[in-house]
Amino acid sequence: MLLEIDNLTLRYGRIEALHGISITVGEGEIVALIGANGAGKTTTMRAVSGLRPVATGTVRFAGEDITNLRADLRVIRGICQSPEGRGIFPGMTVLENLDMGAYTRRDTAGIAADLDRVFGLFPRLAERRKQAGGTLSGGEQQMLAVGRALMARPKLLLLDEPSMGLAPMVIQQIFEIITEINQQGTTILLVEQNAQQALSRAHRAYVLETGKIVQEGTGQELLTDSRVRDAYLGVA
Amino acid sequence: MTETLRQINERRRHVTGGIGERWRALPKWQRAIGILAFVGFLYYLPLLGIPGLTWFRTDSIPQGNNWAGVLFLCAIYVLVAFGLNIVIGLAGLLDLGYVGFFAVGAYSVALFGSTQSPVVEGLQNRFGLSQDWAVAWAICLPLAILLTMISGVLLGWPTLRLRGDYLAIVTLGFGEIIRIIARNSDWTGGPQGIAAIPGPQGAPSPDNEIFGLIDAKPWYWLVLSVVILMVFAVRRLENSRVGRAWLAIREDEDAAAVMGVSGFKFKLWAFAMGAALGGLSGFLFASRGGFIEPTQFSAQLSILFVAMVVAGGAGNMAGVALGAFLLAYLPERFRDFSQYRTLVFGAALVLVMLFAPQGLIPSRRRARELKDRAKEAPANV
Repeated sequence: MLLEIDNLTLRYGRIEALHGISITVGEGEIVALIGANGAGKTTTMRAVSGLRPVATGTVRFAGEDITNLRADLRVIRGICQSPEGRGIFPGMTVLENLDMGAYTRRDTAGIAADLDRVFGLFPRLAERRKQAGGTLSGGEQQMLAVGRALMARPKLLLLDEPSMGLAPMVIQQIFEIITEINQQGTTILLVEQNAQQALSRAHRAYVLETGKIVQEGTGQELLTDSRVRDAYLGVA
Repeated sequence: MTETLRQINERRRHVTGGIGERWRALPKWQRAIGILAFVGFLYYLPLLGIPGLTWFRTDSIPQGNNWAGVLFLCAIYVLVAFGLNIVIGLAGLLDLGYVGFFAVGAYSVALFGSTQSPVVEGLQNRFGLSQDWAVAWAICLPLAILLTMISGVLLGWPTLRLRGDYLAIVTLGFGEIIRIIARNSDWTGGPQGIAAIPGPQGAPSPDNEIFGLIDAKPWYWLVLSVVILMVFAVRRLENSRVGRAWLAIREDEDAAAVMGVSGFKFKLWAFAMGAALGGLSGFLFASRGGFIEPTQFSAQLSILFVAMVVAGGAGNMAGVALGAFLLAYLPERFRDFSQYRTLVFGAALVLVMLFAPQGLIPSRRRARELKDRAKEAPANV
């Protein structure tokens, strides 16, 4: 297993946000976390990337216990997060943002190759390379956030709500690219409210409800599961 | 009234906004000539005798201060502003105790370089050295920078985990702690301060031909040269990996962390580098004065330093230099209004904040960030 989260609890002050969740992500998989607002999806993500300290439980990455490792050191291990919403650097240009993604790397040739790859995946970013991140549209910012995370050439890519606030056309496009990235060899942990898209793209998925995992299975299983359909897929 | 002011401001923005654009559009060699001419003018400034322009001299008014002396102070403040700009403008950390570093730099040269300091006297007795022995000025310089960097790290280590306002309050305390230690300790000379602080030619004496007590011009030229050197140094720093990390932290600390930028480490660097410049300016200030005492390092001076950076344009070196120059120069030139000085000064700062919230010469990048934040605010409601 590339990522193993075991019995993880996490608190915001005195409020426990995650009540002992366990998740595994295997090499080469797309794993989705779905659930409603406030279920703890983003919190789980922040525990994996190291932005929130964990109360109890362990997080292991490629066999190493990283539970208490600083966020910036996890990037060097190969975990990179595309943060929720507008997590790009607004004052930097597109190119500078992408450069920041490669901050921990020093292989100039590899960085240049990955820049081409990102521009290949998102031609729109190539057109706007000199434009400030803050002036991009929501969809372009999302592309930039994903592209920037790819620049770290992560073993595990964490995508937090990649479809948030986007038009249906763009959502479709972003998910196609996520599948493409995965096929190029990157393992992906995906947090999504758009359960339909997430489940149809993911190999496996977990359903989170108020800080607990209530269901897990392959993407297809959950897509056809009656409880999931009622609660998350808006199918009567 | 506000309407008229707004109109004036619009016109100002119209006029000054174009200057930057036009300047950047010029070919490189023209800009180089422009910069060289400007630098030449700065070196000529203490001799300023062009008819019409002599009005700007601070000694053109009754009881005005020595012109070169005022220019020296302006240059010192510009150096301070460069240092504080690293902390506030580049790394985005509000430091209200910057005078503390200025004081550490000043006290470093005083305590180790003056034959009258308790520290030097202690060393003389301990090692049986002669009464004239003191650490040489040239050695005090790296020593001052080293000590201020250490104090920067000491202040930053426990406090940089705090964000925003909390950090501001703690740093405000730091500046006061330094001043109070200086006043209440025997080894710092207490409230009497320390005299006989050396300059480049050794202890102050009437025999010092260049860096003497009377003529401030060589001192101004010295500090001006340091300032010019620092323009290049800080520019380089800004465009280095460290500079990019600062920028990332300032814009979004969490996003920076998941890109592999250690917020704590680089904030500590910002404090250390900023402190080093503050220490350097304190060092030069004390060398010129030949004498320091604790009241010269009040919290009020810290606030003035922050005002220079914020009013000038945090993040933009030309901006903070202008801010520092104006805030040091204007009160000297308009001494006639001495009783209203603070009032006018306060009103001027309020006007700047109202009509040029990003400073007189804003940083283009910071302007974009601010715009973005404004866009984000209503979305959060």
